[in-house]
Amino acid sequence: MAVSRIFGAAVKRREDPRLITGRATYTDDVQLANLAYVAFVRSPHAHARIRRIDTSRARGAPGVVAVVTGQDLEGKVAGIPTAWLIPNSDLKTPKHPALAVDTVRYVGDAVAAVVAESRAAAADAAALVDVEYEVLPAIVDQEKATQPGAPQLHPDVPNNIAFRWKVAGGDIDAAFRNAEVTVKQRLINQRLIPNPMETRQVVAQYNAGTGDLTVTMTSQNPHIHRFLLSVILGLPEHRIRVVAPEVGGGFGSKIHCYPEEAVLSYLAMQLGRPMKWSEDRRENYQATIHGRDHIVDLEVAAKRDGTILGLRGRCYASLGAYLSTASPGIPTILHGLMMTGCYKIPALDYEVLGVFTNTTPTDAYRGAGRPEATYAVERMVDLLAAELKMDPVDIRRKNFIPKEAFPYTVASGVTYDSGNYEAALDKALEIVNYRQFRAEQAAARAQGRYLGIGFSTYVEICGLGPSAVAGAVGFQGGLWESAVVRLHPSGKATVFTGSSPHGQGEETTFAQIVAEELGLPIDDVEVVHGDTARIPMGWGTYGSRTTAVGGTAMVLAARKVKEKARVIAAHLLEVSPEDLDFVNGRFQVKGVPERSKTIQDIALQANLAWNLPKGMEPGLEESSFFDPSNFVYPFGTHIAVVEVDPGTGAVKLLRYVAVDDCGPVINPKIVDGQVHGGVAQGVAQALWEQAVYSADGQLLTGSLMDYAIPTAQSLPSIETARTETPSPVNPLGLKGIGETGTIASTPAVVNAVVDALAPLGVRHIDMPLTPEKIWRLLPTA
Amino acid sequence: MKIEGTYTIAAPRELVYHTLRDPQALQECIPGCQELTLQADGRYLAKLQVGIAAVKGTFTGHVQITDEQPPSSYRLHVDGSGGPGFAQGEVMITLSDIEDGTRVDVAGEGQVGGMIAAVGQRVLMPATRSLMNQFFGRMQSKIEALARQ
Repeated sequence: MAVSRIFGAAVKRREDPRLITGRATYTDDVQLANLAYVAFVRSPHAHARIRRIDTSRARGAPGVVAVVTGQDLEGKVAGIPTAWLIPNSDLKTPKHPALAVDTVRYVGDAVAAVVAESRAAAADAAALVDVEYEVLPAIVDQEKATQPGAPQLHPDVPNNIAFRWKVAGGDIDAAFRNAEVTVKQRLINQRLIPNPMETRQVVAQYNAGTGDLTVTMTSQNPHIHRFLLSVILGLPEHRIRVVAPEVGGGFGSKIHCYPEEAVLSYLAMQLGRPMKWSEDRRENYQATIHGRDHIVDLEVAAKRDGTILGLRGRCYASLGAYLSTASPGIPTILHGLMMTGCYKIPALDYEVLGVFTNTTPTDAYRGAGRPEATYAVERMVDLLAAELKMDPVDIRRKNFIPKEAFPYTVASGVTYDSGNYEAALDKALEIVNYRQFRAEQAAARAQGRYLGIGFSTYVEICGLGPSAVAGAVGFQGGLWESAVVRLHPSGKATVFTGSSPHGQGEETTFAQIVAEELGLPIDDVEVVHGDTARIPMGWGTYGSRTTAVGGTAMVLAARKVKEKARVIAAHLLEVSPEDLDFVNGRFQVKGVPERSKTIQDIALQANLAWNLPKGMEPGLEESSFFDPSNFVYPFGTHIAVVEVDPGTGAVKLLRYVAVDDCGPVINPKIVDGQVHGGVAQGVAQALWEQAVYSADGQLLTGSLMDYAIPTAQSLPSIETARTETPSPVNPLGLKGIGETGTIASTPAVVNAVVDALAPLGVRHIDMPLTPEKIWRLLPTA
Repeated sequence: MKIEGTYTIAAPRELVYHTLRDPQALQECIPGCQELTLQADGRYLAKLQVGIAAVKGTFTGHVQITDEQPPSSYRLHVDGSGGPGFAQGEVMITLSDIEDGTRVDVAGEGQVGGMIAAVGQRVLMPATRSLMNQFFGRMQSKIEALARQ
């Protein structure tokens, strides 16, 4: 095909005009006649028995319609399920009632719901629900939670251990027997709060006449939410419509199935009125999932020349108080399988304990397991380099999986599709001018200034994924994706995706894909998503799957349309289909280009059906259900350059270079945007963000006053570049780019700060690298 | 959270002790106290209107006095809950004679939970101190006025 101007072009995001001019419709913008408002009463205790709930004062408050407690829902609203039943583990799935019935297990656990005529009346009345608690001892540290005598969260989960899961490959004992050097380190991957701009919102509407329930909600995957709501409410799936209108970001936090949408649906059905709930930011901090929160002990075995022989260790992953929708799979499948990173480490032995604690449940947050794995392996490689007094670049080169080795099966058993790790590293080194930096660093050190450089040569698993593998690893769903491409009589196209973009820009990139394939003007392609009544069955947006899997379904559906159009064009032009070239939206007879039919001509003829080839069905609409043969494994090199202020311990990020390889780029502007946002979140984890609980389970970072998310002034201009190594697992060679920024950036920054402070004998600092933490390591302190 | 403070009141120790124990005086001096009623079990039922940082609301709870050693010391237990969350604390109040009156030492621990803990953490210590200062400031005026009578 000729070089295209649409695929690969930096087309401006078509989503943005409506977003930045306030014309987008979010769930909270939905207004319905007779709407009632719901507020939840949440536990102020991390762990307590509910002795008594007195709702009488709340019921008597002005504007109150109803108050329900956990007991009222028993037998009517089933528990909140988990959807990832990891195999080869002893996973326990304790009950998770939508509203707590007899015990609360984290601050924010909902115990009652108040329905009122206004949001304010509901909030005021919620404060009047009298709950008498018997406070129980709480545990927030996941390692201590497994020890004898620790407070127990669930009666059927001894030592709070939800599961033990292990990944092993190669001969780990031999690796450590043959080691000339070993390095051990404990790494804390602190708990984070996702912070999408829009918090969670639900509007539930039930039509008793038709029996139809419509739930408008902040969802990354409307079909998954529809299925789970059907299970929880006992309502047939085809009677439920889930609509995700404009969704203001999710970062994973809107994948999951939460109590609120089930309770609102129940209330709408019971009370015969539409219900709205609008989560506020403080509520979001307690009631919406958190991410990360691993305590990892690792040991690496190597030879003196830097050859890594093996990696072993154990992870305590805090799951919070209950299993969330995907939480068992995050610290295992999406984490443990990636522990050897981009290196040919022949032996791996890694155990993960999923542990219940009296905290908000954790689950997938941008990167979901892979940032933790990348941080672990990239820190260990730097620690090993320091031990061997090797350059961090040299040790990486020495252990990279070579580009000729792909597809390459790592010790964990997963097979990386394609890669060229040295090319990305070389490009990044060139951009940062490594040699010159080391000279500047030495000069600065002589003046008492602490400059540092940090590398992260990452690889990640995304483009979730092959459905058979999803089944094999216990995910209770498929991971294929769907698309429908429909050409209208006028030649305009509406295309439908089963994925559910919520800020990533696929309305633009998918239009580019279809415009490219069919030679249509991009403005003639409308992308529809996020409504189970309009779109085909699909699995949604997460795991950087939308483009690699959903985009592939889109291209395959468009190609089916093109092939049908070619047959119609050949019929009308009285030639055989293979005698036609397709150039810029026009089928033209080879050698006689003036004899041609445009795709718009064909769309009209297909829809009129006055003169179609014998036996051909009318219309020009095709669908595709694409199930990939493997995951995709984007990779790259990120480099952070920092200066540490010896007076205050503050870290200044001087430069950030991101060289990523996501295969062919559909839209470089959008890829840059994804990298920028991801890097901002990863840098923020390295330097600022941390969800802090007191020992008795109070969330101390309970608002944006105390939880430090980055602002524009926190970051330098990020320097992006790319290499291009296509994936063999989809026809366009696409890999995901939605999470690489958060996956790559934390170790780059921490490695840079440790490099800066190495002259002081600093070997490791746990994130976030706050000024205070660093200041205490400085000689002046 | 540690609760600590020292106050001086220009009045004899017996009067200070008595007034600090007096429900009427307590109700008048506890900031935001709307009700303080003695219950059959010896505890006081209290209703307080409190605001810390952006968090304002009504607490309902109990006040109990134990370990009474008149006129030297007693232990004060407070627990309350309401819309903004919960608060509980236990302080030892110790009185000693000084040259021109009585010294009152307050020492104990407090816990808060729910919205106050989530939002007010950063200002909790100064807010607690400010509430305590208000309380003892009012008590001081009241007791010193009584002493002058």
